[in-house]
Amino acid sequence: MEIIVILGVIALIVLFLIAQYNRLIRLNIGVDEAYAQIEVQLKRRADLIPNLVESVKGYAKHEQSTFDAVVSARAKATSASSVADVAAADGMLTQALRGLLAVAEAYPDLKASANFISLQEELATTENKVAFSRQFYNDNVRSLNTAVKTVPTNFFAGFAKVAEREFYEVEDPQDRKAPQVTF
Amino acid sequence: MQAANRRKTVALLVGMAILMWCVVYAALAYFGGSGAGIVPIAVGISLITVWGSYYGSDKLVLTMTGAKLIQESDNPKLFGLIQEVIIASGLPMPKVAIVIDDAPNAFATGRDPEHALIAFTTGILEVMDRDQLQGVIAHELAHVANRDTLVSAVAATTAGAIAIISDLLTRMMFFGGRRGRDSNANPLALIASLIILILAPLAAMMLRSAISRKRESLADATAVAFTRNPAGLRSALEVLERDSTVVQQRSTAVAHIWIESPLDAKSVSKLFSTHPPIAERIAVLRAMESLN
Repeated sequence: MEIIVILGVIALIVLFLIAQYNRLIRLNIGVDEAYAQIEVQLKRRADLIPNLVESVKGYAKHEQSTFDAVVSARAKATSASSVADVAAADGMLTQALRGLLAVAEAYPDLKASANFISLQEELATTENKVAFSRQFYNDNVRSLNTAVKTVPTNFFAGFAKVAEREFYEVEDPQDRKAPQVTF
Repeated sequence: MQAANRRKTVALLVGMAILMWCVVYAALAYFGGSGAGIVPIAVGISLITVWGSYYGSDKLVLTMTGAKLIQESDNPKLFGLIQEVIIASGLPMPKVAIVIDDAPNAFATGRDPEHALIAFTTGILEVMDRDQLQGVIAHELAHVANRDTLVSAVAATTAGAIAIISDLLTRMMFFGGRRGRDSNANPLALIASLIILILAPLAAMMLRSAISRKRESLADATAVAFTRNPAGLRSALEVLERDSTVVQQRSTAVAHIWIESPLDAKSVSKLFSTHPPIAERIAVLRAMESLN
C-alpha cells in the first residue's frame, strides 16, 4: 500500500517537472516563431518598396532626396541581423516611408492612379502586419521573461537552456504610442 | 476586463447547472422514480441536436445564412485586414465568407480555431473604413479565440434539456398525474416543484441569453487586446448603431452569432436579448480609449 502511495507521489513530481520544462521550451519556441513572423513581414515590406518608389517617381521626379532616404533605409533594414539592429532599421524605414507618402500627397495625379492606390493599400496592411507582429513578439517575450524570472519555472531555465530574450523596441516614439498606421 | 467577463460566464454556467439540478430534483419530488427516467432521454435528445450542429457549425451556418466562401484573390483588401489581426492574435487563418446583404453585420463560428469561419455582409464591407473593419474582424476572431461556439453549445444543450424535461413533465401532469400519490409527500414541496418545472425553461432561456451577452462583452475586450485600438471597434459599433437596416434572414436560431443582433431589439426585453445594448458596448470602449 505504502509503495503505491510513494510511487504515486514520485510520478506526480516527475509530471510536474516535465510540465515546467515543457512550458519553458514552448514559450521559447513561441518567441522564435513570433520573431520569424516579424522577419516575414519586414521582407514583404522591403519587397514592396521598389515598386512604390518607381510608381511615385513616375509623377514626382524632383524628390530625389526622399527616394534616396527610402532606398538607403531599405538597404540597412535588409542587412541588419540582431534584434536591436533590425528594430532600429525598421524604425528608420517606417520614417522614410512616411516621408515618401507625404511627398505623394502633393501630386493629385499620382494619388488618383490605380497602381498607386493598390500599392498604398498593400503598404498600409503590411505596416499594420509589421506592427502587430512586433506586438505579438513582445507579448511572447514578456511571458517568457516572466517565466524565466518567477518560481517555479526559474529553477528549470538553466537546465532547459532557456534565457531571457530581448524586446523588439522601435526607435520611433510615435510608433510605440500608436501601432496603427493610416496613410 | 477579460478576466471579469470570464468569471461571470463561469458563474452563469454554474447557475445553469444548479437550475438543471433543481429541475431534476423537482421531477423526482413530483413524479418519483418515473420522472427520473425522463432526464437521460431529455439530455440525450438535447446533446444530439446541439452537438451535431456544434461539430459541423462552420458548414451548417453557411447554409443557414446563405454565406459564400471566398478566396484571397476575391477580396485582397479584406484578407489583408484579417491577416493583420491573425498576426496580432496568433490564431490560425480562418475560412472567410461573404453574405450578400445590404445590412452591415458579421459573424464567427466553428468548433475550434482550426475550423473557424468568419463571415461579413457585403453591406459592412461597403460602409466601414479600415480601422472599423479591423475592429469588427478582431471582435469576430476574439469569439474564435474564446471558444464561444463551445460555450454557447454548452448553454444551448442545458437550456434545451431543461425545456424538454419540463415540457414532458407538464404534459404528464395532465395525463395520469403523478405516481406514488399514496406517499406522504409534503404538499408545499409538491407545489414548489410544480412552479420550478413551469418556470425553469424561462429561467434557462434568460441564463442562456445572459451568457451570450457576457461573451459579447468579453469578445469586445479581447478584440482590444488584439488590436490595442478601442477606437476602431467603437466607431464600427457606432456605424452599426446608426444603421437601422437588419439582416434579411432573421432566424432566431442563429441570432446570437452576429456582431449586431439581427432581431429587432425593441421587441425583445433586455433579459432575453443575446447582445448587450450597443450603447453600453460603445461606452465601455470609450472608457478604454480614455485609459490609453
